[in-house]
Amino acid sequence: MAGCASPIAVCREVVTITDDPIDPTALLAAVAAVAAGGNVLFVGTARSMTDGVATTCLAYDAHEPLARSVLAGLLAAARDRFSLIACGVAHRLGVIEAGEASVAVAASAPHRQAAFEATEWLMEQIKRDVPIWKCEYRPDGSHAWVHGDAVPRSDHVVRAERDNLSAVTSHE
Amino acid sequence: MPPSSMTLRVSLFAGMAEAAGRRTIEVPWHGGTVKDVRQAIVAMLPGLEPLLARSAVALGDRYASADEPVPAGADVAIIPPVSGG
Repeated sequence: MAGCASPIAVCREVVTITDDPIDPTALLAAVAAVAAGGNVLFVGTARSMTDGVATTCLAYDAHEPLARSVLAGLLAAARDRFSLIACGVAHRLGVIEAGEASVAVAASAPHRQAAFEATEWLMEQIKRDVPIWKCEYRPDGSHAWVHGDAVPRSDHVVRAERDNLSAVTSHE
Repeated sequence: MPPSSMTLRVSLFAGMAEAAGRRTIEVPWHGGTVKDVRQAIVAMLPGLEPLLARSAVALGDRYASADEPVPAGADVAIIPPVSGG
């Protein structure tokens, strides 16, 4: 948790990175607010097949301090960008069996559209820039770390893009 | 024994750690920037070059730019393309 003593503290951006099973209900409760009219919870789970190849389990690695820092920045950005009341992310590390939750994102807002959009935007950013990696294990015992081609973006690049976007928006 | 001022400890993750066979490496270091760290790693472990070329570099808990100076004793990490979620 970035700057929070507990998920229900006054801080309304919740970051949890844990080796234990994720509790999506707790995350949803952590973003609840009486001013909210829409509360969205996304739960990402380990699927049993990827591109026709069976996955027996996944193992996640992370640069935890950097992941917490980047996630805290993304949550703050999401809160501003979508005028959220609160938002949070929980990501699990270590070995995850098919069907188990690897990630949960929750957002609350006065209206549902902002909460839906924020949740999807946060997932896109997480998959693009947060230093967490998955390794796929197959039935034949082989495994492969998943690395795409996109270089993780530095904070200042993300900020510049965001400022540029808001500048464009303000000219409309 | 603490790392000597002539080496820089660099943390590796995921496929990068697997390719290097370890989670930390110590590269010879006489000062320089993030760009120089990349060159020092490739000089020591050329096999890491393809993935390193697609990686970001972190100093402590933030991503660093190429021209940032890296003091000896810095907390340096190589961040290959991510796959969380």
